[in-house]
Amino acid sequence: MPAEHIIKSYDEELSKLSNMIVEMGGLAESQLAAAIEAVAKRDSALAAQVVEGDAKVDDLERELDNLAIRLLALRQPMARDLREIFAALKIASDLERICDYAANVAKRSIALSQTPPIQPVHALPRMGTLALALVKDVIDAYVERDADKALDVWRRDEELDEMYSSLFREFLTYMMEDPRNIGACTHLLFMAKNIERIGDHATNIAEKLYFLVHGTPLTEVRPKGDKSSLEVVAPDRAVGR
Amino acid sequence: MSVSLATNPPPPALTPAPADVSATVTPFPVKVQIRNVGFRYGKFEALKNINLVLQDRRVTAFIGPSGCGKSTLLRILNRIYELYPNQTATGEVVVDGVNILSPGLDLNMVRAKIGMVFQKPTPFPMSIHDNVAFGIKLYEKLPKSELDDRVESALRRAALWDEVKDKLRQSGLGLSGGQQQRLCIARAIAVRPEILLLDEPASALDPISTQRIEELIAELKSDYCIAIVTHNMQQAARSSDFTAFMYLGELIEFDVTERIFTTPRVKRTEDYITGRFG
Repeated sequence: MPAEHIIKSYDEELSKLSNMIVEMGGLAESQLAAAIEAVAKRDSALAAQVVEGDAKVDDLERELDNLAIRLLALRQPMARDLREIFAALKIASDLERICDYAANVAKRSIALSQTPPIQPVHALPRMGTLALALVKDVIDAYVERDADKALDVWRRDEELDEMYSSLFREFLTYMMEDPRNIGACTHLLFMAKNIERIGDHATNIAEKLYFLVHGTPLTEVRPKGDKSSLEVVAPDRAVGR
Repeated sequence: MSVSLATNPPPPALTPAPADVSATVTPFPVKVQIRNVGFRYGKFEALKNINLVLQDRRVTAFIGPSGCGKSTLLRILNRIYELYPNQTATGEVVVDGVNILSPGLDLNMVRAKIGMVFQKPTPFPMSIHDNVAFGIKLYEKLPKSELDDRVESALRRAALWDEVKDKLRQSGLGLSGGQQQRLCIARAIAVRPEILLLDEPASALDPISTQRIEELIAELKSDYCIAIVTHNMQQAARSSDFTAFMYLGELIEFDVTERIFTTPRVKRTEDYITGRFG
């Protein structure tokens, strides 16, 4: 961090803001980790805890918004200080979204654990673990104000996209093989999509961090590995089986 | 489009990054070239080797902690320092090709061309009308009706006319601080200068008067080359096109205002604008 401000309370407020982001990031990590565990272990009690835990993140985000608005109004921040506050506001809403997705994965896992286990469930925790690594690394990058580390997260999301694409095809196959799989696979599909979106929010955070550090936006086009949006399912293919 | 502005060693690279289009300002012709300017109050060296240019119809702000030399630089630009003993300027200030620091030059012509407004309003102890007419009478012999027109147009330009049109014969000292400051601006522009130097023109004013002055600066810049010294960072960021940051008599950084206040190149500049040292 740069030198201290002449007004000490300004520094205190800025570091409080930054600490709140780290706290939210920690919650996002633990929520996501618990959601993945709930899926893997078919643990509905744990899943219910994740769903309940989401409210805490929402509270933190509101608190952070208030502090950020107060700082903007009272300190009239310039240059890097302004970017710190702007980035905190944006990153907080990404973290809040990440937690929403984690909660949704947990919620669906409760429904899922009431159906017989199906094979592709095992792929989901693998995807979740990668998403968790992205979230963890981008929060570490934020703590260290390390734009290179953020860029690395930004690039690695492609891997998550690719995992999602191949899971998408796998789920389709299962559904086509046996219509009784449709209920479980639909949940799984949404869960996989949620995890894929978590990766996107991690890249958003990486972009904000890059802007915070360099003062210029990251204008490169992000590599994208999700091809599922282009997938065509021919009805005759399903009927033919 | 890139803007090349200064030749101060080490020359700050003033070409904006390609993606950074918003931080560029369409260049206008150079009005004032400040070359190797130094200044001494007796033995104290207040300015060291200042190089920069002021563009016409653009506002250039000078910021920096107290004692950094920004007001001194402004005082050189119309040679007002000559009123005091033991003050010497070196280097050149070239306005439209003429070095105004050269000793043979007619001071009155320099000051007719370069108007100045100070931190504290300085109305003369005379009527509002005469305050504005004073400078005009110094340089031109005009019939009364024409003189009155000039006074009116200067007061209108300074956004003061509507407030004083019914009391032009009353003393200028009876006006409020903000009105007095606008009267001084009217007096400065009445002689039709080309360059306006504003030394903290709003620092002694209430918020509303301050906004009037800022609005006025935005208005006047379509006709003048304006240099403003201000301690109010937001004011500099709002009202200027270029900003020069000075420290201990040196020009530390000079760039497009947007960049100075978002991503300055020099750490000391960033520390200053973010309130990390003073």
